[in-house]
Amino acid sequence: MLLVSSCSQEPVFERERAVYKIGDDPAWANKDWNDSRWQGRPALVPDGQIFWFRIGVDLKQAPEAFQPYGIQLEVYGEYEVFWDGVLIGKNGNPGQEEALGPEGKLWTTYSIPTELTDGGEHVVAIRASIYHFPDHTAIYAFKIDYYDDLLTDQLIETSYMHSFAGAFLMAAFYFLFLFLSDRKQLPMLIFSISCFLFLALTMTHFVGTALPIHYSLHVVRLQTIVSLMLCISFTIPLYFSMHFPFPKRKLVLSIYAGLLAVFYFFSHDFFDFTALSTTLGMWVFSVVIVIMGVYRKEKGAQLVLLVLLLAVIISLIRSVGFGLFAGFSLTLLSMFYLLSLRLKQQRVAYETSLVQSTRLRLELLKKNIQPHFLMNTLTSLIDWVEEAPKMGVKFIEALAKEFDLLNQIEDQTLIPISQEIALCRTHLEIMGYRKEINYRWEEEGIDANQKVPPAVLHTLLENGITHSQPGTNNSVKFKLIYKTTEQYKTYTFLTLGAVVSEANTKKEGTGLKYIKARLTESYDTNWELTSEPAEHGWKSVIKIYHKQA
Amino acid sequence: MRILIVEDEARIAKRIERMTGDILGNSIQLLTHISTLPEAMEFTENNTLDLVLLDLNLNGEDGFNLLTTAVSQSFHTIVISAYKDQALAAFEHGVLDFVPKPFNQERLAQALKRAQAKEKLETPKVKFLAVKQRSRIQLIPIEEVIYIKGAGPYSELFLTDGSKALHDKSLEKLEQLLSPSFERIHKSYLVKMTEVKEILVASGSKYQMELKNGVTLPIGRTKYKEVKERWL
Repeated sequence: MLLVSSCSQEPVFERERAVYKIGDDPAWANKDWNDSRWQGRPALVPDGQIFWFRIGVDLKQAPEAFQPYGIQLEVYGEYEVFWDGVLIGKNGNPGQEEALGPEGKLWTTYSIPTELTDGGEHVVAIRASIYHFPDHTAIYAFKIDYYDDLLTDQLIETSYMHSFAGAFLMAAFYFLFLFLSDRKQLPMLIFSISCFLFLALTMTHFVGTALPIHYSLHVVRLQTIVSLMLCISFTIPLYFSMHFPFPKRKLVLSIYAGLLAVFYFFSHDFFDFTALSTTLGMWVFSVVIVIMGVYRKEKGAQLVLLVLLLAVIISLIRSVGFGLFAGFSLTLLSMFYLLSLRLKQQRVAYETSLVQSTRLRLELLKKNIQPHFLMNTLTSLIDWVEEAPKMGVKFIEALAKEFDLLNQIEDQTLIPISQEIALCRTHLEIMGYRKEINYRWEEEGIDANQKVPPAVLHTLLENGITHSQPGTNNSVKFKLIYKTTEQYKTYTFLTLGAVVSEANTKKEGTGLKYIKARLTESYDTNWELTSEPAEHGWKSVIKIYHKQA
Repeated sequence: MRILIVEDEARIAKRIERMTGDILGNSIQLLTHISTLPEAMEFTENNTLDLVLLDLNLNGEDGFNLLTTAVSQSFHTIVISAYKDQALAAFEHGVLDFVPKPFNQERLAQALKRAQAKEKLETPKVKFLAVKQRSRIQLIPIEEVIYIKGAGPYSELFLTDGSKALHDKSLEKLEQLLSPSFERIHKSYLVKMTEVKEILVASGSKYQMELKNGVTLPIGRTKYKEVKERWL
């Protein structure tokens, strides 16, 4: 876009102010007609009556051979264009608008016969009527250049805009689909909407070449542009506020939206003014949000602030239309950057979680081959086989069962509670053979439909065995109690025996780390784990909150 | 022999106890088994022991603290552990043997024989001598020890920096751990052979050894032949 606008060359003409006269006389088209007593722009030309306006033009030089000049106009009304008294173009039916209905278009380009374009003074006379907006007699655009260039420049500009819009269309769809596949990614939706809005804005702004519109419908285009800008002025700060959140975000945003709306309804007649004001509001609000982000050292905030300031500067120093587009596109680019940062963060988090679950899986598999368990078990087993072979066989069977259970659960993140309990019971059987302590297992209120992360209770059981000594009767009792309330469910794990090695329990062992990692894997942050001495032993409570609706 | 077994696995403790009984038979004066560390510590403080069979998991700081505490005592320590990879660290700290689990009677017998027969280690792996200080245990690298003097049930370590340190183990027990880089040249002296400068023969068939730091130590009449052979 920068390229397109900076390529424009020196104009080939100079024009004088237009002079107007209400009335109709074919002689007014003549080059030599004395219009010295004609007046400035009339505020109103009512009832679709004919009026003329003449513009003196000074061509700096004649065109090169075989390349006629052309004239490009953006003027409200239906009209005929005369160049030095010669009719060179007709746009609609001046004076007969009411009778014949709207015809013609807002943006017109006519070629000027080469024999009439010697260097020097010329006169453009326009015979017009303005039935629909009688108070809009202004000339919005007036340009003379090589006819081919006028047409191709417009096409080039439009093609740039369309490829530009196409890029935003792709981005809009891409992020819309990303959002649809993961409804939690609200910033993606907002970004997608911003892209759509920007796309619509671009298309509306450059609608002229693609779709000829009658001047009476132009207000629709302008209103569309203002509305789109209003929406963008809301979505962009909204988006930034998602990346750089601040306290009372919703309230502040609501107030901002309210201000925009009030402004829109009270002043949307003044196209440029409204567009400028909403955009200015947007810049100020966005920059403030990003500055707060920079202040809080949020990732990416510095670069975004820089780009945003650049966008503001460009939009302020360049013409309204171009400045806005450059500003908006830079802003969208910075939003894109933020989104890519977020996507990267998510990918890293995902990869970390993959590594973590692999690690947990290994941790689980290691439980029964780590030397402390395996070698002590094997030593005891040898002794049982040597001393009491029949018991030895039972011991082997229990060991086989525990290995089998661990095999079944090793690649899962949640297993039925019954399977976990079976694992605990088998482990107790093995430990009974090893330690020759009478381990007992009790459970209360177990809901067979519940699922738990694998080997979490098993780990609590291992800790219980390590840190307890048998009381009287040479027994240690473990009790699992399940309770559920509206907000959460709890598993209370009791070790009832004499607690030993108090010092060790203060430090967080690998066992507790494993449990916490497993709970995080399955329940994110919706869990609590407490572990503390209790009457006659040790008490661990796992509290899992029901997912928030 | 007075032996303590520290093992929290009842079945394994019984196995060790039974096998030790079978292996050593009548030479056992005391054979007992304790399953928790605090109780074991208390027992070693209040009883004279010759040997402790220690179930040790060196994972974490606690394991090494426990090991250095054990080896700084007057008794020999044999570690019986599931963690074979920790054997080297255990030897470096001065255990008499390391029996990996699962073990059989032959392996245990080999370790007990070493303790009983005052058999010297073939290739000493000791890198440190653990010495009790007032409030902690200091690990003295073997390189810093020049010679050791027996002092009743204790030993005095003479170090390269000229200082001395007292070790709870008897000279016999240290000889077992430090041989052959240290040689018993006298009933009261154990000398690192690399520190020897020369052997002096004094009048009246008195033999002396001069060390590199200028100290002269007596050589026992019965030890002379052995020492001379090694020295020459």
